[in-house]
Amino acid sequence: MSSYLRRYRPFIVAGIEEATVYRSNFIIYLLGNTLGAFVTYFLWKAVFTSSANSSLNGFTFPEMVLYIFLSFFTGVLTSSDSSTSVGDEVKDGSIAMRILKPINFAANYFYEEIGNKIINLGLLMLPFFGGIVAYQILGQNAPAVNWINILLYFISAIIAYLINFYFNLCFSFTAFFFRNLWGSNLLKNALVVFMSGTLVPLAFFPAVLQNIFKFLPFSSLLYTPVMMYLGKYSPKMIVSMLFLQIFWLVFFIVLSKIIWYFAIKHLSIQGG
Amino acid sequence: MKRVFRLEKIFIAQYLKQTMEYKADFFVGVFGVLLNQGLNLVFLKIIFSQIPKLDGWSLQQIIFIYGFALIPKGLDHLFFDNLWAVGQRLVRKGEFDKYLTRPVNPLFHVLVETFQVDAFGELLVGVILLVMTTGTVHWTWVKLLLFILSIPFVTSIYTSLKIGTSAMAFWMKKSGAISYLFYMFNDFARYPVSIFNNVVRWIISFIIPFAFTAFYPASYFLTDKNIVFNLGGLVVISIVLLFISISIWNKGISAYESAGS
Repeated sequence: MSSYLRRYRPFIVAGIEEATVYRSNFIIYLLGNTLGAFVTYFLWKAVFTSSANSSLNGFTFPEMVLYIFLSFFTGVLTSSDSSTSVGDEVKDGSIAMRILKPINFAANYFYEEIGNKIINLGLLMLPFFGGIVAYQILGQNAPAVNWINILLYFISAIIAYLINFYFNLCFSFTAFFFRNLWGSNLLKNALVVFMSGTLVPLAFFPAVLQNIFKFLPFSSLLYTPVMMYLGKYSPKMIVSMLFLQIFWLVFFIVLSKIIWYFAIKHLSIQGG
Repeated sequence: MKRVFRLEKIFIAQYLKQTMEYKADFFVGVFGVLLNQGLNLVFLKIIFSQIPKLDGWSLQQIIFIYGFALIPKGLDHLFFDNLWAVGQRLVRKGEFDKYLTRPVNPLFHVLVETFQVDAFGELLVGVILLVMTTGTVHWTWVKLLLFILSIPFVTSIYTSLKIGTSAMAFWMKKSGAISYLFYMFNDFARYPVSIFNNVVRWIISFIIPFAFTAFYPASYFLTDKNIVFNLGGLVVISIVLLFISISIWNKGISAYESAGS
C-alpha cells in the first residue's frame, strides 16, 4: 500500500501544482457556471409562483432550491476532464511518454485529477456546501439537515465521480473519428445534462422516459446522489441505487480497458 | 468595402475546404447544436406542463423569444467565432504575430479567418422556431422591416462583447475564461426579465446587455409596446458597446508584446 502511494504521489502533487497555478481560471469558469444555476433558480421561482400547487411532482419550492444548487455542486464535484486528451495523444503518438512509465495508464490521469480536485474542492466546499447547509438551517420550510443523508450523498457522489471518469475516458477515444471536439463534446454534454437530471429532475419526465433514464448510466452521475441527499429514497431503494451505480462503474472500467487494448494494438509511433 | 467582401469570400472558401476534409465533424457539430436546442425546448415543454403561463407569457411567446435569440447568436457564431481563439491561445502562444504582419486590419483578419459551419444548427433551429410561432406576432410590413433591421444590431452586441473580452488577453495573455463568464449571462436573456431580481435585471440590461439580444426586442414584436426602449435601446446600446470594445481592442494591440523567445 505504501509503495502504491509512493508511486502515485508525484502525480497528485503535479495535479495540485497545476490547479494552484490556474486557480483564477478555475474560479472564473466556476462563476460563469454559477450564473447558470441562478438562471434555473429564478426560472423555477417564477414557475412555483405561477402554479396553483405548492408542490410539483413531489418537490416543494425549498426542495427545488436545494435540488438546483446541489445538482450544480455535484456537477463540479463529479466533473472529470483530465482524460479528454487521451484520444488525441494516441493519434499523434505523444501517448508514448505515458506508456513508458511503469504504471497503469488510467491511473496516470486519475491521480493528476485527484490533485486538481483537492485544490478545487478546497476552494468550493465552504461557500457552496456551507451555503446549502446554511439554507437548510435558516430557510423557511427548508428540509432539515440530515447527517445520514449527507453521508450517503458523499458515498454516492464519489462513485458518480468514478463512473464519470471512466465514461469520459471511453468517450475521449472518439477523437479517432472526429477532429471537431467542440461538436462531439456539445453532443455528449447535451445528452448527459438532460438524462442525468441536471436540467430538470427526472421526476418531471413522463413515466416511460423516467424509467429508461433511471436505468441508464447518466442518472447515476447526478440524480442518484442528489436524491439521496434530499432523502427521497426508501432504504431499499438506496441499496438498489448504489448497486446500480457500482454496476455502471464496473461496466465503464471494463469498457475502457477493452478500448485501450484495441487502440494500443494498432498504435505505431513514428520518429524518435 | 469591395475589398473587404472579396477577402471575406476568399477566407470562407478556404475554411470550407478545410471543413470538407472532415465531413463527419461538420455533421457532429450541427447535430450537437440541434440536439442541444431541441433538449432546451423539451425543458420548456416540461416547465409549461406545470403552469399555463410563465409570469404572464405563454409557451408560444417564450419559444418565439428563443427563436429570435438564436438567429443573431448563430450569425455571430458563424462569422466571428475566431475571437475565442484570441483569448484562449493566439495571444498566449504568440501566434497573434501573424495578424500584425499582414496588410489588412488585424481585427478584420481575426474576424473573417474562420467560418464556423456548426452555427448552421443554431440558424436552422432559430428559423424553425420562428416559423412555428409566427402566429403569436401581429405582423405588419413595418414590423417585418424592423425585425430584419434589428438582427445586425443584436449580432453586433454579441461580437462586441467578444471583441472587448478577448482583447483583455493582450494584457493578461489569456482571457478565455472572462469571455466565458460574460457569455454565460446570455442564458438569462431568453426569459422575461420580470422573473429576475433587480440586480440581475440591471446587469443584463445595462452592464452585459444580453437582455437586448433577445427579450427586449422580441417583446416589442410580441406586444407592440415600448418601441423606444425595446428597439431604440437596442440601437444605442449596440453602437456604444461596439465603440467601447473597439477602443479596448486598439489599446490592447498597442500593449501586445509577443510571447516566447
